[in-house]
Amino acid sequence: MQLVDAELQESRQVLPGQWLQQYHAPALAVSARAGQFVHLRTGDWSGLVLRRPFTINTADPATGAISLHFREVGRGTAWLSRLRPGERIDMLGPLGQGFQVDSRSRHLLLVAGGLGIADLRLLVDEALRDGRQVVLLYGCRDASEVYPSSLLPDEVEYLVATDDGSVGHRGFVTDLVLDYEAWADQAFACGPLPMLRTLAGLVAGRKGRLGVATLGRKRGGGRSVPPGSPAARKKAFLQVAMEQNMGCAVGACLGCVIWGVNGPQRVCREGPVFAFDEIDWDATAGAATHKR
Amino acid sequence: MKAKKRVVTYGKGVPPSRGAASSPAPKTHRTPTVRTIRSAIVEPRSAPPPRPASSAARPVGQPVAGPARSAVDLSVDLGRGLVLRNPILVASGTFGYGVEYADVVDIQRIGAICCKGTTLRPRQGNRPPRVTETPGGMLNSIGLQNPGVDAVLERYATQWAGWQVPVIVNVAGESIEDYVGVVRKLDLVPGIAGVELNISCPNVGKGGLQFAIDQEAAAAVTRAVRRATELPLIVKLSPNVADIRPIAAAIAAAGADALSAVNTLSGMALRADRSGPFLGNTYGGLSGPAIKPVALRIVYEVAQVVDIPVIAIGGVTGLDDVLDYLAAGAVAVQVGTAIFADPTLPVRLVDQLATECGRRGLASYELLIGTALPTRPNAASSKGVEYRP
Repeated sequence: MQLVDAELQESRQVLPGQWLQQYHAPALAVSARAGQFVHLRTGDWSGLVLRRPFTINTADPATGAISLHFREVGRGTAWLSRLRPGERIDMLGPLGQGFQVDSRSRHLLLVAGGLGIADLRLLVDEALRDGRQVVLLYGCRDASEVYPSSLLPDEVEYLVATDDGSVGHRGFVTDLVLDYEAWADQAFACGPLPMLRTLAGLVAGRKGRLGVATLGRKRGGGRSVPPGSPAARKKAFLQVAMEQNMGCAVGACLGCVIWGVNGPQRVCREGPVFAFDEIDWDATAGAATHKR
Repeated sequence: MKAKKRVVTYGKGVPPSRGAASSPAPKTHRTPTVRTIRSAIVEPRSAPPPRPASSAARPVGQPVAGPARSAVDLSVDLGRGLVLRNPILVASGTFGYGVEYADVVDIQRIGAICCKGTTLRPRQGNRPPRVTETPGGMLNSIGLQNPGVDAVLERYATQWAGWQVPVIVNVAGESIEDYVGVVRKLDLVPGIAGVELNISCPNVGKGGLQFAIDQEAAAAVTRAVRRATELPLIVKLSPNVADIRPIAAAIAAAGADALSAVNTLSGMALRADRSGPFLGNTYGGLSGPAIKPVALRIVYEVAQVVDIPVIAIGGVTGLDDVLDYLAAGAVAVQVGTAIFADPTLPVRLVDQLATECGRRGLASYELLIGTALPTRPNAASSKGVEYRP
């Protein structure tokens, strides 16, 4: 974790209201792992007192560039979208625990809802670099919001579901998951809370549906691992990236908690990536966040 | 001349020019204290009996050997041997237990760290969401999530004991027994420099806030804690009261060594679709620059009715805010919400304050304290704000 003065190199609107910005921040590009985030300080003019957390969309250690993908939802992101190349911004990062990929996993299933793709994008790069196969399932409202395949590597198998059926499968992205649950060694997801909750429900019943398929694979050799540890997360079939309103982003203020089965969990410190079975989905859904 | 109204008293044997000499080693509890002459309208209150400097008091915040950063004396005595190297503290709840920001901040240069509110037993805190930004500030309703005093001591006390920066433990509870129980466990533990009594958390359901709004209850809890410990005792005031002055006076009379003002203002926010309150706890505490005028008013009022040091809290984002609070009678300030945006701010403020004193030719920042307090008896400003009945 460090404070970095990052320079904006490129900013473009990739979808209506959604921006992709590339910053020169070598220190972050080298150390960032998929699922981690940065905490940005907005300009003082706006009277905004909090930093804004953004997941690291891509990181290229060779060029020292990281990119952020965000939607303009409020004054902070509006300010950010109007930054010009050459302007500098104060970033704190990389923060949080990233995705834990088991070294034996060959097939990764990635499930993204809307802007949740930003959390998984770096994982795509890391997985392909390590020679794994990646299936990306992407869900959104309609054709206008579909993540452009030009922003993805060619090696990814990319399936789209839209609510109105204007592109790809008509319905929820979670409908597509069953086709891949036997193929996948691990699954990773980010998106709206109902989507994640549905996925967690699906995964909870996966072993029963697959039956014998899991018998031959005793990951971890039956050793007990403390919940929340990287080893436990690797063992869980599904890891999810969560979001919450955030204060300090370093674990000091306890503002960004979500409810886990073992009590409150800090999204900034224990998260933002959790194993699906660490989260108390009923309590979390009951206190769903409402973006402002 | 305003300056004539202030009487600067020095500890015995310490020449007034000592500050410029900047030899940190012999510095003990004897630092100059600035007393303001109170205006005549304030009812005379029997001053708390001068407590003898306790032999149990540890040399907290002992000046470190090494090159002095500046010739300006920034040290401040908060009473009972709690001497800070500078008057910039970090506020409870915004800095965790001091370890969280250690990667990006030289925490040892901060005057003192007030740790997250600590209770007798572990607390899970309120349901999320717990924070949201508001114009010029933020609302939080953490609900005193903490692992309990035993776990806090086990995890952090050893580290704290090795730090140069004093750690003041913020103590919260729902009953006097809770407060006394926590403080008893803190007493005589190495690494604990003092206690800040949080009698004013607006985010816990039962009990908590009542101590802050009732002067009898506030005095009772202060007295009970005072009896339970020799640690320096700071009591944190709530702004959610009609008139802070009798409460502050009662707490001072009950044996507090210092006051800190203020905790957050009670507030709330709605969901974007206005279907209900945004925060899981419905109500939250407002902090940040938005509350600075309120906090400044309260510091200004409290500084006129008590003789013990007042620590200002509320919306400090720069040197101007520090100077404002000092002028209003505070001897030190706590930086809170601004840390989230700018973790290095407290350390920078230390440097900026020293530079400002140097620029004005002051040997000690204490000459900045209380310059804005009323000089005339019967001044309207000493009667409290006008809208009160």
